[in-house]
Amino acid sequence: MYTFEFALQILVNGLITGSIYVLVAMGLTLIFGILGVINFSHGEFYMLGGYLGVVASSAYGVPLLAALPLGMAGVALLGIAAERLVFRPIRDRDVTNSIISSFGLAVVLQNAALLAFGPQPQLIKTSLSSISLSAFGVFVTFQRAAIPIITAILVILFHVVLRYTWTGRCLRAVAQHPTIAQLSGVDVNRVAVATFAMGAALAGGAGLMMASVFMVQPGVGNMITLKAFTVVIMGGMGNVHGAVVAGLLLGVAESFTSGYLTNDFRDIIGFMMVIMVLLFRPSGLFGRAVDRA
Amino acid sequence: MGRLATLVAVLGSVAIPFVVENSYIVNVCIVIFIFVILSVGLDLVLGYCGQYSFAQGAFYGIGAYTAAILYNNFDLSFWVTMPAGILSAGLFGLLLAIPSLRLAGHFLAITTIAFQTIVYLLLTQWTELTGGQYGLPMRPIEPLSLFGFEVLRVEGTTSFYFLAFAAMAVAVLIAQRLAGSRLGAEWKAIHDDELLARAIGLNATRNKIVAFVASAALAGAGGVLIAYYLGSVYPTDFSIWTSATVVAMVVVGGRATIIGPIIGAVIFTAMPEVLRATQDYKLIIYGLLMILAITFLPDGAVGGVRRLIRARS
Repeated sequence: MYTFEFALQILVNGLITGSIYVLVAMGLTLIFGILGVINFSHGEFYMLGGYLGVVASSAYGVPLLAALPLGMAGVALLGIAAERLVFRPIRDRDVTNSIISSFGLAVVLQNAALLAFGPQPQLIKTSLSSISLSAFGVFVTFQRAAIPIITAILVILFHVVLRYTWTGRCLRAVAQHPTIAQLSGVDVNRVAVATFAMGAALAGGAGLMMASVFMVQPGVGNMITLKAFTVVIMGGMGNVHGAVVAGLLLGVAESFTSGYLTNDFRDIIGFMMVIMVLLFRPSGLFGRAVDRA
Repeated sequence: MGRLATLVAVLGSVAIPFVVENSYIVNVCIVIFIFVILSVGLDLVLGYCGQYSFAQGAFYGIGAYTAAILYNNFDLSFWVTMPAGILSAGLFGLLLAIPSLRLAGHFLAITTIAFQTIVYLLLTQWTELTGGQYGLPMRPIEPLSLFGFEVLRVEGTTSFYFLAFAAMAVAVLIAQRLAGSRLGAEWKAIHDDELLARAIGLNATRNKIVAFVASAALAGAGGVLIAYYLGSVYPTDFSIWTSATVVAMVVVGGRATIIGPIIGAVIFTAMPEVLRATQDYKLIIYGLLMILAITFLPDGAVGGVRRLIRARS
């Protein structure tokens, strides 16, 4: 148990789950940082991404790597609809409003998924799972190994969009100062739409990839939302790069906890880390301004 | 008019178990009373003091599990577990008040959500103490005896109804007294502008701590009641969904009013029962109504009624 290979295997497993946390948390922290919305239905984007993958692969036989962009686009449309119908009408109100509305939305989406797909967990069947890779005594199936790789591509893509495109500039401008951004001609409504579309697409992609490894069921979003929030807090609320590091950190911490301590603590470790962060560094490990009392 | 309405509401509530044949309605009323305790308690922190707390479900759970653990391990009676539940929830409220002294707004909301989740996960994972997913059993409330005389006996739905009603009445009176006192006025000042409140010499630190502790203690009392009412405790009753529902009760009813959270508790407890006819669509409609209520009633039902009255005159 205490061999180097075992530790390495656990590290790799942690990086795979961590990649999923990164994708979900990046969108969550973006939506929070730019629009000030605490979106509790974010895990539902993840869940629906998984179901879109299941539908595409089992009903239409689309291969996993082709289903991914389709699923992400589908969930992005849902994100746009959520912004337009649920969050835009309450944009200028305090945070309790958006939290409760997003809770309502989560209830709606979860139960709609329950009606449409039933309570049994479902799996995306893929031929990739029969291919396995091994190096340094670590075994990973191909579709698991693909998760961190695809995550890395998406993170870079996301970074490029935020950093070097006009849309990205507008987004960052609104995050810094909504009023001045608006005065400079930034269309806040379009920024909100882009933010939700990107955030939802990332979460949907994560859910789709995860549905090929574990299964997807209607309630799967609950825990992922809460874990993504721990990542968002640790990375510094609204800090996209912080979310990347914190997400990987959480995945690895969980993996080592269940590998060396007990699986019972797996889910709790992240929240313990969050309490520590909040007590000693409320702005997160990588800093970002907080509203102080 | 307020007094008359209160009198009518009290008399009506007292009459329900005698007039209504259907014990189902009496049972729904008991749950409503318990949620009124939670929502009126939360209103002190959220409505009056303006601190976003999404942890009321955690304090509710701490109250319930304190009672259940004390009964299962030490065989203590309701008359001991009730104050113990209030006390332990209050102590955890003190704990949660600490981040509220450093953080505000969104950041405080997320912190309280993290606290709520940790409490929930401990309830599900710390199996030796809490029974995990299988929960803990409870027994009916023991008769209260003083000097060998039986003073009070709570047996069956009707007498539990009156116990819950009395507890709710006490909770509402406490909340009303606090909100109407100088403390309540200082809470509102902190809500409106904390910096200004501090600048004119108000002790915001102490006031916020009092709000959190009072709010948590009330939730603890509600938790002890629900534990005895259900005859067992399970972690699922004390998740973030409960906390969010209680926040919805306060916001949709009307913040910083006493009647608002009461209306909210009635709406959100009765709604799933009313929607039962829609079966599979019940929760979808529930969620949609939650979104619609937030969207169209920015100041809650109370604010909406006030606007209507103003428009008339």
